[in-house]
Amino acid sequence: MNAWELSSASHFRWTPPRQGSRTPTSLAAATAVVERLFRDLDETFSLFRPDSEASRLARGELTLPAASAQMREAYAEAHEWRLHTEGAFTPERPDGVLDLSGIVKGHAIREAGTSLLALGRRDWCLNAGGDVLVSGSPRPGSAEPWKAGVVDPADRRTLITGYALGANSRHNAIATSGSAERGEHIWRLGSGMEFVQVTVAAADIVTADVLATAIIAGGPRMLDRAADEWDVAVLAIRADGSMLATPGFQPA
Amino acid sequence: MKIRGTVAAALASAGILLAGWQTGTQVNGISTVASSTTATGTTGAGSSGSGSTGSTGSSGSGGRQARQRPPGSSGTSASGTYRGNSVQTRFGPVQVQITVANGRITDVTALQLTNTDGKSIQISNRAAPLLRSKVLAAQSANVQTVSGATITSDAYLTSLQAAIDAAHL
Repeated sequence: MNAWELSSASHFRWTPPRQGSRTPTSLAAATAVVERLFRDLDETFSLFRPDSEASRLARGELTLPAASAQMREAYAEAHEWRLHTEGAFTPERPDGVLDLSGIVKGHAIREAGTSLLALGRRDWCLNAGGDVLVSGSPRPGSAEPWKAGVVDPADRRTLITGYALGANSRHNAIATSGSAERGEHIWRLGSGMEFVQVTVAAADIVTADVLATAIIAGGPRMLDRAADEWDVAVLAIRADGSMLATPGFQPA
Repeated sequence: MKIRGTVAAALASAGILLAGWQTGTQVNGISTVASSTTATGTTGAGSSGSGSTGSTGSSGSGGRQARQRPPGSSGTSASGTYRGNSVQTRFGPVQVQITVANGRITDVTALQLTNTDGKSIQISNRAAPLLRSKVLAAQSANVQTVSGATITSDAYLTSLQAAIDAAHL
């Protein structure tokens, strides 16, 4: 069990474009920066590290007002999302323990993206645990978008569809949540889970990640709310394999 | 002579600016009429090369839409009004209605424009059923990355170093 999915080694992938004119040195440096960032965030936010700040908060040894600025900011952001999603997304477990797992992953990817840009890298695709943030194009200088596939929940070796990110797309990020994650950081609202998998594309990774989680928890009502109030594309899949999609995911 | 030329050029660029402004403000993504007007204006006036800012992007979507337009208006001298599907463009949803008299388009009206009013987005961005067969047919196998829900594992973030995929570098 893991506090946040990032930690799964096989699910982290950073893909710079093939035709980049980057030198291996700067590539290695950029990779090292991202790794370092993820490691630091894990040390702060992992509930599976007894010595992490998050664990001390969970055990009541530390109170939120006394927590680090980073922790308080993450909590404030998560709390704002709870208001925006009418509680479909929440930073607290049913037992009252503070659990920021739902937002920390998006936060980590966002921070990594900011670092890559700060290092002067403009064209990249960062995939952590199946959540993706891109910048620029796989062919630097061109208008070609990055293409992200969406996994079929019934058969994870196949893709259901694809979605264009970066370049001229309004969306740079895509995130997928599944009902299998329940018990980690998704607590359903009301009766039964309608969707087994929800994918959201948005301009930023935190919005995509949080809304995907919220729609899994909140069902069709949250799906409509997300489609109405955010500039997002949503693909929601039910247990019987039937699907709902906003226009962004409808084939042309 | 020279003065007249300058005045003509100024007028031409004013026209282009105006057309660009119309397309730009009113409707980023819009109707066939507006974008084709802009296009003609630009080429016709030639010279100055100034202005015509936001106009280019829109023509593609407008054109595509127009083609989808009148169901069953083929060949015969149809009359009436036809409402197109709402089409998602990168500027937002667009929907057009045309009026046809004796097989000729006499009027084009934009029913739904871009983000100027939240309501139209609200209606048009709603999710609808999607047929799996349709998606699979449209799908390209050619992807660079994959989004999927993570199956939880208990590895730590620190083991990530070994996982950065060198094959893609």
